[in-house]
Amino acid sequence: MISGTLMLFNWSLKMDSKSIYPHVIRAAFSFLMFFFISVAFADAFGTSRTGLRYFESICFLNVLLITVCGVSYFVTAVTEEKDAGSFALLRLAGMTALSITLGKSTSRLVSSLMLLVIQMPFTFLAITLGGVLWQQIIASYFALAAWMALVANLALFCSVRCTTSGRAAGMAGSVLAILFFLPNIINGLLAALPAGLLSPTASGLISSIPETIARFSILDRLHELLQTDNTVVFLGQQFWISMTISAVLFVISTLTLDFWSAPADVAGPSENASIRRWSVGRSWQLAIMWKEFIFFTGGRSFFIAKLIGGGFVFAGFIWLQRSNGYIDYFTLRGDNAWIAFQTAAAFLALEVLLYSSGCLFYEIRQSTQSTLAAIPISGVRVLLEKAGGCLIALIPAVFWLCTIAISGYEAVARECSMTMVISFLIVLAFSSHIAVILSLYTRWAALPLTILISAPAFFCLAAPIFGLTAATNALARSQHIEMTMLVSAFVNLFWTWLFILLPLQLWIRDRWNDISQF
Amino acid sequence: MPDVTTQTVPAISVSNLSHSFKGHQALSQVTFCVMPQTLHGFVGPNGAGKTTTLKAICTLLKPSWGEIQVFGNSVRTDPIAVRRRIGFMPDHFSMYRQMTVFEYLDFFAAAYGLRLAQRDQVINDVLTLTDMDGRRNDLISGLSRGMQQRVSLARVLVHDPDLLLLDEPASGLDPRARIELMEILRELRRMGKTVFISSHILSELAELCDSVTIIDRGQVKFSGPMDVLLESPEELPTYNLRLAAVFDNAMTRIRELPGVDDIKEPEFATGRDFNIQLTPSLSANEFLKSLLTLDLPIASFSQQRRHLNQAFMDLTTRGVRT
Repeated sequence: MISGTLMLFNWSLKMDSKSIYPHVIRAAFSFLMFFFISVAFADAFGTSRTGLRYFESICFLNVLLITVCGVSYFVTAVTEEKDAGSFALLRLAGMTALSITLGKSTSRLVSSLMLLVIQMPFTFLAITLGGVLWQQIIASYFALAAWMALVANLALFCSVRCTTSGRAAGMAGSVLAILFFLPNIINGLLAALPAGLLSPTASGLISSIPETIARFSILDRLHELLQTDNTVVFLGQQFWISMTISAVLFVISTLTLDFWSAPADVAGPSENASIRRWSVGRSWQLAIMWKEFIFFTGGRSFFIAKLIGGGFVFAGFIWLQRSNGYIDYFTLRGDNAWIAFQTAAAFLALEVLLYSSGCLFYEIRQSTQSTLAAIPISGVRVLLEKAGGCLIALIPAVFWLCTIAISGYEAVARECSMTMVISFLIVLAFSSHIAVILSLYTRWAALPLTILISAPAFFCLAAPIFGLTAATNALARSQHIEMTMLVSAFVNLFWTWLFILLPLQLWIRDRWNDISQF
Repeated sequence: MPDVTTQTVPAISVSNLSHSFKGHQALSQVTFCVMPQTLHGFVGPNGAGKTTTLKAICTLLKPSWGEIQVFGNSVRTDPIAVRRRIGFMPDHFSMYRQMTVFEYLDFFAAAYGLRLAQRDQVINDVLTLTDMDGRRNDLISGLSRGMQQRVSLARVLVHDPDLLLLDEPASGLDPRARIELMEILRELRRMGKTVFISSHILSELAELCDSVTIIDRGQVKFSGPMDVLLESPEELPTYNLRLAAVFDNAMTRIRELPGVDDIKEPEFATGRDFNIQLTPSLSANEFLKSLLTLDLPIASFSQQRRHLNQAFMDLTTRGVRT
């Protein structure tokens, strides 16, 4: 067993060190840290505790990166073998369940921990910048390492439990979203509920959920560490609970590996024909668009679920508002409107990035790109139809974003300028293109790499966008042109498309054509 | 059915095709021609350049040099027209496994521009042809390899192409599935399709194909009718004779006939079988006439042909190209 485990472990590490992409990620992260140092240096002239701010940025970026790794990199530890049909070969080669989970998952964890280790020398610069102690830095890295172990083992469990990487990513993403958002939702609900509606026992039970999650929440732990100037506990409660949960998840994954990895393909008809007829239906004349919408984005049933889900969220915000004394059924006000708008925008951005990083990779994974390329339509049309299928799937998210914007117009307009909207759209368009390109080069790292690239890109792009908007605005006003904001939006979008998006689109086309040859 | 114009131009015309990958010469001056409504075998060792040639023909690969025409349409300048007339089945399983058989075929039929009303009929026809009618609502992921291969074949037929390009269609199939696949290919030829099939299973190709191209290390070693390949051009024509019964002195009597260069009994002879080598000046007809004068009870008389395996081994080089 040990030789098998070591072989897998060695092989994974060798592959990791031979492949250029992990090094690119680490280099990109180093670049990002350099960027934050520069920002901190610029800040140092105006504020105190610059080091703390710098270190805070690094920590929260790490949390984001580890979380994204959870739904993209860690989650494929076992499912990549299932996807490739090579899982049975591993078992035939005498690999035990423990060898597989150790060899496939632990190597990824070690490789990712390197990302934390590589940061250490840079982060100690924060001490010289001021506002943070070396004890805080060490304790924060222990907390991050524990969080990484938790995420990696949760992803391993999902990878063992699910038959495909896509499903595993969905499951891991849902659990992580629950860990992040459930405490706030429960606290909000408990605060909004009229007193006496719940019995003290029920109320106590429900309120214990956020408390329990908070014990191993990385965000809470980092907040606690970065606010403490006194004694710092290196290995806090969060560390031990996270490590314990990780160990339990690892053991469960190992014990259930055989059970959940039995061949999933069962011969015979698909599910109930009438349900299938409704959910899948007949192919449209734009067949690739249909395929993309139905089989990649989840199709009609998922579309309706998102529409209804968005409705529930909207109704939830209205209900929360009513509990605070507003009796309007359709208008969102104040913080409620702004939070609802941000939530809808974040959901839209996440959905766009997920589709962008997956839609072409989905063909590559199934080796269907050459079959698709043999259809008598141009490669550009194939790409456009695929984008069209994804855009249809985005309708519920866009619908609810617009509904919330209209419903809470006053509050949203107060908080969010037109320039911010344009910046958001441009950065989203840029990120989605980057995600598509990366998905044509990497296996599962497209999404985390996109986030890594998009974070500094946001700052790089936003500044010229603000400048260009202001300049166009002023010029339009001087020429007595009305609706100056729309003009500047158009100018911005046109220049962005011409100089940023078009080269990326040509790159995508060429790469796709290259890949279609194999 | 193919139109009349397709009869006059070759289905595939490849001339001086060369291609290299990162300095590695995959194809060098490949030239051959496939006539319409024939079954053409494309044979070569691993790494010989078969798949590269196939991909160039079906417009997936832009060759570095040379010209390919499919029914007169240039692959380089008119790829969309070429794609309309071909059906390409790659050597690997490339299927949307979460679709049912019907959805998969419906998707490709729509992608090839067939209207909804046409699609039902076409899908029914191809499912009947490939004997998959009973599995139309099955998920592709649940089908056996042989059945998936049939679905793949059905897929390349949905837009009624004139030319089928099949890359190793029988690989991984059990003997029964292979025989059934070959039957389907024969049926397709009867329907007027041109079938270009790359395969390693030489015995089946010999029976199936009208013509063959043998490629080795990126170069064409032979291209032409199967009969020509299976004759032994360097050796004297040899015939197999079987008598209905054992006759004394039969061998001596035949040796004395004019034009007989050599006669011998094959291995494990029963006294009734002879291999007769004739001088090139004598035709088989003339020899048969003189043989009948001996009044021997002849059970069978046929020209001895090389097996495709032998032809393949003679024409190709040992080892894998580096």
